[in-house]
Amino acid sequence: MVNQSSNNSYTSGDAELAHIAVEHLSLTIGAKATNAILRDISFAVECGSLVGIVGPNGAGKSSLLRAIYCHRYDQPASLAGQVMIAGHPVHLMSRRERACKIAVVLQESALPFEVTVREVLATGLTPRKPLLSFTSKDDTRLIEGIAADLDLTRFIDRDFGSLSGGEKQRVLIARALVQQPQILLLDEPTNHLDIQHQIETLSLVRSLGVTVLLTIHDLNMAAAYCDQLLVLNKGQLVANGEPFQVLTSELIQDVFQVAADVAVIRNTYTHERRIRIAYDMPPSRTIAPGSAGERRK
Amino acid sequence: MKMPYGLTVAITFSVLCLSVIGAAAQGAFDLSLLNVFQGVIICPWTNDCALSPIEQQILTDIRLPRIFMALLTGAGLSITGAILQSVTRNPLADPYLFGISSGAALGAVLAMSAFTGAFSGFLAATGLSVVFNVTTGALAGGALSVFLMLTLAGKSAVQVEKLLLSGVAVSFMLSAFTSLVIYYSTPETAATLLFWLMGSFSGSNWADLILPLLAVVLGSGLFFIFSRWLVVMQLGEESAATLGVPVHKLRLGMLLVCSAVTAILVAEVGGIGFVGLMIPHIVRLLVGGQLHRVLLMSLLIGATFMIWVDVLAHSLLQDQVLPVGIVTSALGSLFFFIILKQRQSR
Repeated sequence: MVNQSSNNSYTSGDAELAHIAVEHLSLTIGAKATNAILRDISFAVECGSLVGIVGPNGAGKSSLLRAIYCHRYDQPASLAGQVMIAGHPVHLMSRRERACKIAVVLQESALPFEVTVREVLATGLTPRKPLLSFTSKDDTRLIEGIAADLDLTRFIDRDFGSLSGGEKQRVLIARALVQQPQILLLDEPTNHLDIQHQIETLSLVRSLGVTVLLTIHDLNMAAAYCDQLLVLNKGQLVANGEPFQVLTSELIQDVFQVAADVAVIRNTYTHERRIRIAYDMPPSRTIAPGSAGERRK
Repeated sequence: MKMPYGLTVAITFSVLCLSVIGAAAQGAFDLSLLNVFQGVIICPWTNDCALSPIEQQILTDIRLPRIFMALLTGAGLSITGAILQSVTRNPLADPYLFGISSGAALGAVLAMSAFTGAFSGFLAATGLSVVFNVTTGALAGGALSVFLMLTLAGKSAVQVEKLLLSGVAVSFMLSAFTSLVIYYSTPETAATLLFWLMGSFSGSNWADLILPLLAVVLGSGLFFIFSRWLVVMQLGEESAATLGVPVHKLRLGMLLVCSAVTAILVAEVGGIGFVGLMIPHIVRLLVGGQLHRVLLMSLLIGATFMIWVDVLAHSLLQDQVLPVGIVTSALGSLFFFIILKQRQSR
């Protein structure tokens, strides 16, 4: 299990926790204006909060993250509006400056060659190290410390490709922490993980103490772990606020086209409000005796 | 059981040094290991040389340049292959797949046929042969192949798949042109060109070694300098970009360096395939996938391998020298089979 008792903050010491402000962000890929991926999105994120971006497939969740870390598209893409981090527009920062402030955890892709966990973690040093430099004792200490906090020490010298999905995800988050960022962006960190590892990953992210933006599909998970939810639909921001304010059965019907019961549970002592969503699923199809489907069994 | 990395490097380096000496003692003219030792270590500095002038000449003017050419070629092609595999994240990449070798071969063949053909008198008379020779021809051909590949792949070659596919297309196109040139040359020229295409280290002299040495040393230096970024790129391009690595520029730069190194080597020794593909994989099996290890060991093992390939090419048939390219591919694939088989059974 992940060691959550150490509630470390991994941000670089001098920098204040960042505050993200997205102003009138629009993104169009290709020449046609109909290819708008994001339409006039504005929101603000407070320091240290965990923000979930939810929405159906193709709503623009990943594109929103990409706009924040200034992804360069292969096709011509036009971006309007701006993203500010602690008052500084990201598109004016150099690649390196940006990499020192924002760490990104993408969905892991297959690696062509063997590479140890230690090496993967060491790549997190890239933005802060000159090209010609050796990994110093301090770097090793940083890497091993983070590995210990995330319970990775056991397999730090193993091949990254041989790890399970949950372990890989933890390694990639650890690498992002080696970057010592102010902001952590995660693209569907719980994808392909079983429920235990989903909970583990989100609890880990929650405990880091940096500002986090992540895309996520499971609304119950999003409601349980996020301080703020952004709901995207067809490139537009349709709701923004605390989970219990945002996730209503009307909104879920509207955005996801699924009927759902949303129960708000209020803790009598802490007055904390939590919600639980139950989806209305169509009854499973019954197979008539003697039909083709039955005979095939 | 894996050996410690430092020990592996030390052993491989010793094997390489011994290979140079050992290979120098192999050949039609009888030279013992002791003779070679004396010739290399004692004779250059003292006057009392135990070797006869003819032995001395065979050693220093024929065998050693040939061995060093083999060493440089093996080292250069292997490290180029390792780099191409890592920048494209594709285990099948090598100078051949990208058409760099084909381009260089085409340029060299054009230059050679011009020398033996109608233009030879003109070139010699005007002194253009200094500018237009096999090396510049191969360099121009290598550059042409990279240019064609990048044009085909589109703007600054952002997608690896496109880059690889256009590399393959360019490779076939330029090979076709090479065949065409050979087809239309006189039988004597065609024979020379064909033999050259299959690769040979014979006839190398010390002056020929300068350019390959510079290419391999400078190229490897650049590869080692950029290896920190290359490791990041191996893990994925988009995430490399988020770590501040200029992915597209890096890949383009590395491609250009690789093609320059390959073109210079091809110009000197002809087409020698399979080394760039195979050696990095053998190295990974030996020392794992860490890039700086792969690079260093590719240099060492590639060099050693090529020296012994050359020895085999000289000794397999009596009184005949086989083209190096044939031995490389035959031996290389066999060796590769064995290693793969062993890994499966483990």
